[in-house]
Amino acid sequence: MTAGILLLAAAVQAAPAPAPAIPDSPDTLVFKPLAYTPPRAADHRVVLKNGMVVFIAEDPTLPLVDINITVRTGGYLDPAGKEGLAALTGSLLRNGGTRSLTAEQLDERLDFLAARVATSIGDTSGSASLNCLAENLDDSLRLFLEILKEPRFQEDRLALTKDQALQEMTRRNDDPEDIERREWNVLLYGEGRATNRFTTEASVRSVSREDVAAFHRRYFHPANMIAAVSGAFSRAEMIRKLEAAFAGWPGAKPQVAPVPSEIATAAPGLYRIQKDVPQGRVTIGLPTVKRDSPDIYALEVMNEILGGSGFVSRITRNVRSNEGLAYSAGSALRFGVYYPGAFRALFQSKSRSVPYATQLVLDEIKKMRDQPVTADELDIIKRSLIETFPSNFESKAKTVALFAADEYTRRDPTFWPTYRDRIRAVTAADVQRVAREHLVPEKMVVLVVGDQKEIDIGDGKHEASLAAMAPGGHVVTLPLRDPMTMKLP
Amino acid sequence: MRLLRSVLALVLVAAAPAPKPRIEVTEMTLGNGMRWLLFPRHDAPTVSAGWVAHVGSVNEREGITGISHLFEHMMFKGTHTIGTKDITADLKIIEEQEKVRELMRSELKVMRERLRRGEIDDLLKPENQTARYRELDAQFDDLVAKQRDVIVKDQMDQIYTRNGGEELNAFTTEDLTAYFVRLPSNRLELWAWLESDRLLNPVFREFYSERDVVFEERRMRTESTPLGKFDEAFNALFWEAHPYKWPVVGWPSDIPAITKAQADEYFGLYYAPNNLTGVLVGDFDPAEARGIIERYFARIPRGPKDPPEMVTVEPEQLGEKRFIAEAETSPTVRIWWHAVPFVHKDRTPLDLLSDLLTGRTGRLYKSLVLNRQIANEVEASVDLKKYAGAFEVESVVKEGKDPSAVESALLEEIARVQREPIPAEEMQKVKNQGKGSAFRRLSSPFSIAIQLLYYDGLGDWPYINSYADEVDAVTAADIQRVARTYLTKENRTVGIFLRRDAAAPSPAPPAAPGDGTR
Repeated sequence: MTAGILLLAAAVQAAPAPAPAIPDSPDTLVFKPLAYTPPRAADHRVVLKNGMVVFIAEDPTLPLVDINITVRTGGYLDPAGKEGLAALTGSLLRNGGTRSLTAEQLDERLDFLAARVATSIGDTSGSASLNCLAENLDDSLRLFLEILKEPRFQEDRLALTKDQALQEMTRRNDDPEDIERREWNVLLYGEGRATNRFTTEASVRSVSREDVAAFHRRYFHPANMIAAVSGAFSRAEMIRKLEAAFAGWPGAKPQVAPVPSEIATAAPGLYRIQKDVPQGRVTIGLPTVKRDSPDIYALEVMNEILGGSGFVSRITRNVRSNEGLAYSAGSALRFGVYYPGAFRALFQSKSRSVPYATQLVLDEIKKMRDQPVTADELDIIKRSLIETFPSNFESKAKTVALFAADEYTRRDPTFWPTYRDRIRAVTAADVQRVAREHLVPEKMVVLVVGDQKEIDIGDGKHEASLAAMAPGGHVVTLPLRDPMTMKLP
Repeated sequence: MRLLRSVLALVLVAAAPAPKPRIEVTEMTLGNGMRWLLFPRHDAPTVSAGWVAHVGSVNEREGITGISHLFEHMMFKGTHTIGTKDITADLKIIEEQEKVRELMRSELKVMRERLRRGEIDDLLKPENQTARYRELDAQFDDLVAKQRDVIVKDQMDQIYTRNGGEELNAFTTEDLTAYFVRLPSNRLELWAWLESDRLLNPVFREFYSERDVVFEERRMRTESTPLGKFDEAFNALFWEAHPYKWPVVGWPSDIPAITKAQADEYFGLYYAPNNLTGVLVGDFDPAEARGIIERYFARIPRGPKDPPEMVTVEPEQLGEKRFIAEAETSPTVRIWWHAVPFVHKDRTPLDLLSDLLTGRTGRLYKSLVLNRQIANEVEASVDLKKYAGAFEVESVVKEGKDPSAVESALLEEIARVQREPIPAEEMQKVKNQGKGSAFRRLSSPFSIAIQLLYYDGLGDWPYINSYADEVDAVTAADIQRVARTYLTKENRTVGIFLRRDAAAPSPAPPAAPGDGTR
């Protein structure tokens, strides 16, 4: 039995003053029980007359109002040859003026009101947000709606936005972290995947104002939006304002193609990219499961123990704390909504210690499969996930945003209410089972970005060679892509 | 034990018709000199808790640069109780380790001499170590392995994690070192136990592996990023005499030379309660919290002497300085002017001056990006530290445009502020924005806790409450005055970064001894 179990089992009232002695160990402290019931989505959900779903919460703490709109669209809908259209549309909505105001007038007006409006379109969703002072709500909301409904997409602002995107492209190979992130995605999901296509100089240049306007017309409609609204207002009055603001939108409910679910992962192996820096970046991983898999709870616990919970986890403890080989070392686990998520162990270490540190990480992955986790490790992580559960709802803004995201991705409504019990139910055997099933070393992809010659010299202390660790003995040297065409030389 | 010198000053909150961006913070000081800032707010069942040590890289000297930050890492390594199964055996091994390290330091002297003679190229490469050093290194590794049997790895992290702690971390700046965590509200006493314990009985175990971790942090943030080393070099050029000139993470020669004895001494001087401020924000009962604070923190003895005052004042700059370099980045122009310390009366006029220039409707964007179309990005900001500050502008030059045209355009906009009156509407715009941000910064209890730690570290936490009124009081003439006073030619340092030709070799250290081509 661990100290932690004693703590909660003995959940009596905290000893009252006068000052008791300070105990010799924190394990003997007792804490008042803290009951917590998560808020319910249904209590915040409203459907406007036009079909738009709104999650709403009054929060009088500060005289501010937050409105966040999620739009069903995404970069995966970019037509071939016009990669970047969705992102440009997202950016230009805010930056390109409205029917009644030039871009310059709109910018001035919003800044004068101290209202913050941001719009963007990512891989699988679009977003538009307004944060304003409650005293300016009516003016700010009117401008926000004009942006969403009647954007001007001013020509010169499109030219500027394109030029900024093209310049950003020139920096694609400057930072090893950017190279690693980009190539990891390609290895994991395939270059042709709809959410993974590169913008190029040609594709950005080919986007016209009419393309942008058409993309906006096609997807921006209240029936295609979900809103999260919180702040200093009365709920009834805010709903009236939203009903009025979003009424009379032209056009019918858009038909949006689903996000494709297929992926094309690269062959297992070691992939090396040369970059002249003193520290190598290493990523080891593979695709996992979608969010609807029953294994997600055991997988989450497994990843926390392996590398997902900082110093409490094995990879961080071993690679960083014991060996001093990295500042950042750990693992991350994502569950997919539309296609499989990914497991990814990663660290950065000076070139010559890359092989040894890689060996340490691979050993930890193997150990996770070969042996059950200890009762203490399991206890720490389960308690942590359960005790920190309320943080998911720590503010009204965060709560309604989470409900809106769940609505957008159609998450199982029992997820939050049952989450803590599902975590409580995870056993060491479950953890080992999912590790064996999902962390298969022979299927892994290893990506190393850094000074490959220095890396191969090794640390002189340990017998470790990257090539010998390559899954399936498969070693590929990847050249850097041309940043403007993304072609491999 | 009632050592409370009880200073309960409530910040007055005027009953104004319009809501004011203010937080009602209770301030108190313990008998040992440790100050406290308490702000109850019951949004969520959590407490954000932390403390700040009034020490940073500004308190260092050449040779030990980076010690404040390394020290921040060491504070997570445990105490006489936490992190060990057998403190006696543990301390004995640490003593043995230090003896080996002392011998290794003698070898390092030999290696440094070889470096100066040009016989070796890099102290960190294993092949440049003396045979004796390698032998000692192996001995040291054995002692580390031996110690693993008696230590409990990262036990403080484990306890916090098991108890629902989140965001457990710390940060170091030039002026301050802050430690914080967010916990379920019923765990306040656990926090007091662990934090007072690490202030009272710390053990800096695993010192040398953590020193390596810090060097990896430097490699990650500074040496492997496109502009990391260039930012460091520019900063070192900007400051003449001031200790702000060295990087918080430390120079690469210094980090591996810092000793545990230096860290011990540093702790004794700078981590005494008279140099600390504690902060609690969130769901707690003030009376109960005060009781816990007294009980746990008043027992820490006051330091034998207060830390020495930082006396260096940056001398007046006599002429413009320039830094021109080629890096893996888009062409960029940067200009910094010496400004004022954070507590200076001109801080808010300077802040509003930067607001006037920066952002989408700021003068710089309108002039350089929209009208002249010579830049794609531009921003202005103030960086006011505890003892001195800077006013900064930076712009990414459009491909094919001339960086010197961008530099001239930046300076022309500054000159326009100095020359022409600021229209009333524009003044009102920056004031409105100031008001908005004064409220926005109060939106999360955790972020309020961090700000209290940070601004107290800069010497004025009530800034959070006074900011809106300070903004109200600034006039157009004030902004013009500070622009004229500080943004002068003599007072500036200009950096021009050009894209390095992809085919050109990087300016790495020479590959072999004697290969001194750069």
